[in-house]
Amino acid sequence: MIKSFASEYIFRRAYSVLQCTRFSTASQPITEPKLQSFRSEENDPLKHTLDHVGQFYRIPEEEKNIFLYGGLPKSFEIQAKTFNETCLMIRRPSVDVINCLKLIDYTKPTVRFVIFGKKGSGKSLCLAHILHYAHKARYLIVHVPWVGNWMRRCKEISSSETREGYIDLNIDAAAWLVHFKSQNEHLLNNPEFQISQDYVWSKRETTPKGSPLSELVDHGVNRLKYASECVVGLAEEIKHLSRSGHCKTLVAIDGFNAFFYPHTRVFKEKKEVVPPNKVTLTEAFLSLTKFDWNNAAIVTTVDEIAIAEQDHKSHLPRYLLRKEGFEHMDPFIPIFVDNYSPKEFTSCMDYYRERKWVRYYPQQNEELALLSVNNPYNLMHLCASL
Amino acid sequence: MAAIRTFVKNCQIINRNCAVLSPLVQKHGMSQYPSYYIEPVHKKEMQEDLIKSGEIQKLAHLPTKAARNDQSSSFRQDDLVNLFINYVMRNGEKVLARGLVEKAFENIKRIQLEKYHKCDDEEKKAKIELAPRVIFHQAVENCKPILALTPIKRGGVRYQVPVPITPKRSQFLSMKWLIEAAKEKDATMRFHYQLALELIDAANNKGRVVKRKQDLHKQCEANRAYAHYRWS
Repeated sequence: MIKSFASEYIFRRAYSVLQCTRFSTASQPITEPKLQSFRSEENDPLKHTLDHVGQFYRIPEEEKNIFLYGGLPKSFEIQAKTFNETCLMIRRPSVDVINCLKLIDYTKPTVRFVIFGKKGSGKSLCLAHILHYAHKARYLIVHVPWVGNWMRRCKEISSSETREGYIDLNIDAAAWLVHFKSQNEHLLNNPEFQISQDYVWSKRETTPKGSPLSELVDHGVNRLKYASECVVGLAEEIKHLSRSGHCKTLVAIDGFNAFFYPHTRVFKEKKEVVPPNKVTLTEAFLSLTKFDWNNAAIVTTVDEIAIAEQDHKSHLPRYLLRKEGFEHMDPFIPIFVDNYSPKEFTSCMDYYRERKWVRYYPQQNEELALLSVNNPYNLMHLCASL
Repeated sequence: MAAIRTFVKNCQIINRNCAVLSPLVQKHGMSQYPSYYIEPVHKKEMQEDLIKSGEIQKLAHLPTKAARNDQSSSFRQDDLVNLFINYVMRNGEKVLARGLVEKAFENIKRIQLEKYHKCDDEEKKAKIELAPRVIFHQAVENCKPILALTPIKRGGVRYQVPVPITPKRSQFLSMKWLIEAAKEKDATMRFHYQLALELIDAANNKGRVVKRKQDLHKQCEANRAYAHYRWS
């Protein structure tokens, strides 16, 4: 036969292999949009169960405010703007974590979760889903959208006055305080949230004991010089409040392994690299992720892209957290986020077609599954030009 | 690499200027294949057509050229888009060219979807075209000139004479003008975004490229008195 049939043959073989594993509905030509089997009626993450896995749920406009200063990846935000709605896929890792959060005994020391997975498999969005749940369940949220922004793209440096040899990231710390305030507005109004000790900033500035927590936050926002110290103080206050039972806390950190990677892009005056253990902000969040407090849960993500490209060797937590990080986090519950399962993949393609992002052609699902290796990020890139 | 390129250019110049060279070399210039090799047929439907019409018997025993990297039997393959990517390409950077055209298609989709979601009228909504490839084909079609001006010397004077052009040349001019228009942009604007805007405008019969084609047609109309100089 003609040699050009070779590619056709390979295609047919791959298709027949896939047929055994695929749902039969995937190979039928779609004339109309399916009766929204990929959408879930349940928009409340409090009620998501394993039955909803593979379906998309819509985040209502009022609740999108938790992501105002970060939390959703840039490419996802652009997609949400184009599609006119913010829809997250309910996936098994996030449902597992949410179930755990419902069942944990909060009188015991904090439980730590570490979400890991290959590049583009959906870790940040998994964290976003958990954050939405925490917001609905009225947790006090301590959320760091992306540690890489601090370690690899810091805005401004200054030497710390109170700590010898430490570096303050003023603008980043103040921006984070604004983010913290906007996420927990409804809780910070609570009069029970009071500071347990005096904070003396300078001869004329103090935040006295007993004043509301929001005053500490405001001070950090207004006085950039003391922003990093405010964050450290805030971390201690939150731990105190949780221990005394005033609030349940969720600490969510994306890109946690950046706190342990020594080759940051934070440079001192003479282009000296500043390791993360010499950055004031690190102290705050390392103390928050310890297990010396209770009435809280800690969910972190370890990601290859939080560190330099030359060290993208493995996606596994032990490699990414390195010795200090692993010893700090041990014991933790590892949560693996895998590429799409066949059901999730079909659901994603149906969603794209329904949103008129991709036009159908024969054997589209099979071809894209092969090309993207079921990786969500690769799929998004492939569908961009279709 | 640069040395090979200049060598190749020199070969082409030689080929063009030397009529003395053997006809075999001039017939398929740079090709590494002998002339009896046939192009591969990728699309499944075209192969089935060949089988039905019986053409396949003639082609079955002929040696076939190897498939190029940008050709596949996938439904996503579009010969016109591949040609366009080649025209966008500079210095052999195919990956960059393909990336730019794909981003342009993505931008087209985003712009059109924004219009679609803003529109309240059902009728207008149905008319908004959301598929980037359809828009691309429409744009190329709308920008094709029918006539062009060539300089013809008569009595020591060079006249701009309107002449018909072949469909291939017309298609080439259309795509070349689209790319040139996309390059005429602000320094802060990205090429792929400008290209998307140009394609959408051309598909709606508006914009710079369609104007350029219409200006050319007007010039041809104005110069129709010289049309007989073609045969003089």
